[in-house]
Amino acid sequence: MLSQLVLNGIIAGSAYALLALGFGLIYSVTRFFHFAHGGVYTFAAYGTFFAVTQLGLSLPGAIIFSITLSAALGAAIDFSVYRPLRIRKAQSTVFLLASLGLFIIIQNFISILFGDDTKSIRRGLVSEGLLVLGARITPIQIVIVAASAGFCFLTWLALHATTMGRVVRAVSNDAELARVVGVNSDRVVVSVFAIGSVLAGVAAIIRSLDSDMTPTIGFEALLMGVVAMIIGGVGSVSGALLGGLFVGLVRNLGVWKLPTEWQDAIVFVVLIAFLLLRPQGFLGRRLRSSSI
Amino acid sequence: MEYIFHIIILVLVYTILAVSLDLLAGHTGLLSIAHAAFYGLGAYTAALLAVECGTPFFVAVLIGMSIAAVVSFCVSLPSLRLHDDYFVIATFGFQIIIFSVFNNWMNLTRGPFGIPGIPRPVIFGWSPESNGTFLLLAALFAAFAYAVVNRIVTSPYGRVLRAIREDELFTRAVGKSVFRFKIMTFAISAALAASAGCLYAHYVNYVGPTSFTVTESILVISMVIIGGAGSRWGPLLGATILVTLPEMLRFLGLPSSTAANLRQIIYGTLLVILMMVRPRGLVGKYDFGR
Repeated sequence: MLSQLVLNGIIAGSAYALLALGFGLIYSVTRFFHFAHGGVYTFAAYGTFFAVTQLGLSLPGAIIFSITLSAALGAAIDFSVYRPLRIRKAQSTVFLLASLGLFIIIQNFISILFGDDTKSIRRGLVSEGLLVLGARITPIQIVIVAASAGFCFLTWLALHATTMGRVVRAVSNDAELARVVGVNSDRVVVSVFAIGSVLAGVAAIIRSLDSDMTPTIGFEALLMGVVAMIIGGVGSVSGALLGGLFVGLVRNLGVWKLPTEWQDAIVFVVLIAFLLLRPQGFLGRRLRSSSI
Repeated sequence: MEYIFHIIILVLVYTILAVSLDLLAGHTGLLSIAHAAFYGLGAYTAALLAVECGTPFFVAVLIGMSIAAVVSFCVSLPSLRLHDDYFVIATFGFQIIIFSVFNNWMNLTRGPFGIPGIPRPVIFGWSPESNGTFLLLAALFAAFAYAVVNRIVTSPYGRVLRAIREDELFTRAVGKSVFRFKIMTFAISAALAASAGCLYAHYVNYVGPTSFTVTESILVISMVIIGGAGSRWGPLLGATILVTLPEMLRFLGLPSSTAANLRQIIYGTLLVILMMVRPRGLVGKYDFGR
């Protein structure tokens, strides 16, 4: 029982980690909470569903199709809404509200287009799965964990071993200074939105390979991603990974002693404890959280 | 006519919510996403007291407002130690936690089933059975909320709140206890939201958790912002627009689920557009989040 709960936590945590990573990457260069990230997540899940059922693409083709569209959506949001706000030097609360508005728009469009009933891209029979330390894990779940780990590693590599990654880290450290030395920060921000949205897309797809989708999945995913980012610590790949797994485990281990319905409440109690006792998270730098 | 009264009553309920949130968000600069939770606390208190104990209406309203104020202390003490976006996230968390309580504490709130059969209030033998008479009661409540908020913001106390919004460090430097002002304001705002909840519970005769979700909080925030944060008539205007505009959709003959989605798309779009072109809202003078 316990080992199964731990395993479920790790599987859920792999998706949260990717969300936290994308969300945190965007936060670290823009310094605001991009809530529409949850919309991109829902968009990617339904994009894959659409490509499989309506366009008749194979699953890998559909995945590439929907991830490309997610990246485009993320970049388009930045270009059309956030960039004008940046030019006006709006405060982070303004960005936050605009992105809440965007999230509501995306979610409701998907709900109108596809309906509120559950949809699925799962294939084939439910396999019994392998027995690992007394817990059952299906092959697709192994793929989920591996894909998550793989994308986290790729992001880390991209941030630390490429020129682009160095530029991104420079902008997240000090956008003003980066501009002074000739970095086109608008271009960096757009590409970070695209990369972050790819990560959200991957998270959505690996999640939908294992469970059904409804138009509201993005909301829960967003909340868990934000919590994972704060708990893990903003601005590092390992922090996002740690935060994601932690949130996944808290959610699933909570069920051990409490009814399932309290999962969200438990996560937020943990979040508030973190905000008070360790606002920078496990590994993060101390941010503006407690300055005036 | 009953239908028009119904719309006006809803506008008034949301006006109370918007004007009380404006005290916090517009005048003090504290954007809280937990407003629907306090609204719900009021509604549940009124519902339980009316159905289980038969408590007189105004006593129930006072108890509801007090409970909301007390809970607001539990929310604001930790949240107010955080700033800006982290404050928003903390209130977001409390909204989810309080919603979970409404939705899951089966023995008290009956969870997703909600509490049906709440009677119309009886006030000294007078009972507003028709929508027309209930409108009078709602107007009384809205006028009370407006009077309280107006009294606060035009007083020296309100000047301190605006000072906190403009420059917190400076306000502290001139010797004001910023923390105490914020906590007091949070409690007043929560209590007023709870009064709207009491009114709503007695009006629709039923409370269920789905009326008090995060979406509801965001709707009230949108009303404040669209009308104009920190202005006198902004919250009333915002509530009127966001309640009546979607009602027009009713006459288009759309299926009800599509209409609900369109309603949300409308206020999402208004929110984005206003943030981009006019963050002070329609009649506001203060650029939100400057």
